[in-house]
Amino acid sequence: MSEQEIRTRLERCFALTFPQLDPASVPSASASRLAAWDSVAQVSLLTLIGEEFGVEVDFEDFEDATSFTAIESRLREKLD
Amino acid sequence: MRLSEALDVIRAGVPDSGTVRRIHLICGFTPLHLETFVRARAQLRFPAAKIEIDTGLFGDLEGNVARAAHKSADAALVAIEWADLDARLDLRSAAGWKSETLDDIATQIGERLTRLHSLLRALAAAMPVAVLSPSLPLPPVTHFPPSQSGAFELQLRAAMAGFLERLAADRHLRVVSESELALRSPAAARLDAALLLHAGFPYSIAHADAVADLALACAFPAAPKKGLITDLDDTVWKGILGDAGVSGVSWSLDRRSHGHALYQQMLGSLAQSGVLVGVASKNDPTLVESAFARPDMILKPDQVFPFEAGWGAKSDAVSRILARWNIAADSVVFVDDSPMELAEVAERHPGIECLRFPADKPAAILELLWTLRSLFGKGEIREEDRVRASSLRTAAAIEPAAAGEASEEFLRKVDAKITLDYEMDSGRAFELVNKTNQFNLNGRRFTEAEWRAYFEQPGAFLVTAGYEDRFGPLGKIAVIAGICEGLRCAIDVWVMSCRAFSRRIEFQMLARLFENTRAKALLLRFSPTPRNGPTQECLRRLLGFDPPEGEIELTAEQFRRNCPPLFHTVHQPSRKERQTA
Repeated sequence: MSEQEIRTRLERCFALTFPQLDPASVPSASASRLAAWDSVAQVSLLTLIGEEFGVEVDFEDFEDATSFTAIESRLREKLD
Repeated sequence: MRLSEALDVIRAGVPDSGTVRRIHLICGFTPLHLETFVRARAQLRFPAAKIEIDTGLFGDLEGNVARAAHKSADAALVAIEWADLDARLDLRSAAGWKSETLDDIATQIGERLTRLHSLLRALAAAMPVAVLSPSLPLPPVTHFPPSQSGAFELQLRAAMAGFLERLAADRHLRVVSESELALRSPAAARLDAALLLHAGFPYSIAHADAVADLALACAFPAAPKKGLITDLDDTVWKGILGDAGVSGVSWSLDRRSHGHALYQQMLGSLAQSGVLVGVASKNDPTLVESAFARPDMILKPDQVFPFEAGWGAKSDAVSRILARWNIAADSVVFVDDSPMELAEVAERHPGIECLRFPADKPAAILELLWTLRSLFGKGEIREEDRVRASSLRTAAAIEPAAAGEASEEFLRKVDAKITLDYEMDSGRAFELVNKTNQFNLNGRRFTEAEWRAYFEQPGAFLVTAGYEDRFGPLGKIAVIAGICEGLRCAIDVWVMSCRAFSRRIEFQMLARLFENTRAKALLLRFSPTPRNGPTQECLRRLLGFDPPEGEIELTAEQFRRNCPPLFHTVHQPSRKERQTA
């Protein structure tokens, strides 16, 4: 899977989880700046990522990944 | 449905139509993805409505049920898991699985189920409730290996079975079918232990979707189809009647044609539950009659009406049957083994559901039988269901008699009796309102919650009419509902079954309404629909002009002037009986 494809699909997961988020703001999204990003949203987002990329997401592994960039980076490691 | 698809549905939303469907989702765990799937599935079921989901508090199933009973909603979905009945069965607790506590767990669960039963009954008094019994496995609390069921597990299951049986006896409480759930969501793939421990949500994505879909189907059942038209050769029986002869066609294990026996059995069962069953067959009518006279026929001739056997196009036969039943094609299923016949009927009757009979394929026949149950299934069988076919048969028999003399003279002689009923909790009235198209004042449909809320308004009334004449009973066939304030009486609902046409029952209902309410005028809230021509005709006759859409005033004077002569004997409860009711 190309880097661009990973990013596009990850952006789609964010758009579904945070429908109020402006698409242009997705790459800079983080829990500290997005009120809707609470623990429930984090679980929904990670479940969606697991479904989208066909991987088993360990919630603990991603516990401190609370920004788009952190999740993208953790996901790339998992897919490698 | 995948989680992303569910979120897509939710994100797409709906234009603001002003309609809201509110659903209580009641469980003891975090509703998380179950809420997402309920919202998405409900949106698909009600595409024009805004969906609102109310959830409760974590770990408080009983409290959530109790609180929901005080908040109005269109339905409640209740998911019970073992952990809700005793915290010691919760994988998130570590209270110990001591053998000496098992008896206590069983006792506690029995007591909790008793309390839950009364709470659910109170909830069901306010709205329809779909209840899901524990769908997740019990944790490994006993010393038994997984291959063996111990007394503890069996005791819990027996308590649960008794509890569900008591729930199922209440028509507003619907138990989600565990066997159907098992088909859609295999037991081994239901639990998501990681999600449970991390977030308090126990269901896998697929299981959450299956639970949401089934629970919604239970809470908002689709209107069942009304009639089934079937072919005969290689469908009701194996073989071609014209070639094999009456004794040559078969439906038995010995003749390797048992699938046809099962199909006949299903048709008989459907007929018993009030489904109209008709035959459209390219055959010699006398041969068909002889075949149905065989004593081993499982489907009996009196369960079929009408028989259309002949050599014309199947679609013509279907047209005649639909006219005889007086129902639209989209309420009907047509079953035939020939793809060509199915296509010909489908083209001529858009909306009819055409199903192919898969002769010689037992598994596919069984699947067809389940499909028929799904299309015709209903939660309750009423007296009207039992008399439907016979009343149509009688109507056909008396038509020549009626045509032979003045219709008025004929109506005078049929000893017609109308019984008016003021029972507010009439399930039959609700059913009629939601399935009647032709004699329907405005086509308005109600959810169960809307129906109940309507009658909570001050001055709301409901009148249901039953009819019987010397040719037999028709059961409860007409409904009027409205709001009376002083001498002002507005009618929002006025429907009558098509089986009851041409008997002037609709006029008698208005006559009694004028008499009972002493209203100087009735306000009829009328809307034309593509199908309510008979209502428009009735209003035209009473008003003397084409009824306009909106609130129509029909004065007592207009009614007296234009109402045709009525010959019914009317029984209605006395004022005292009505007050008691």
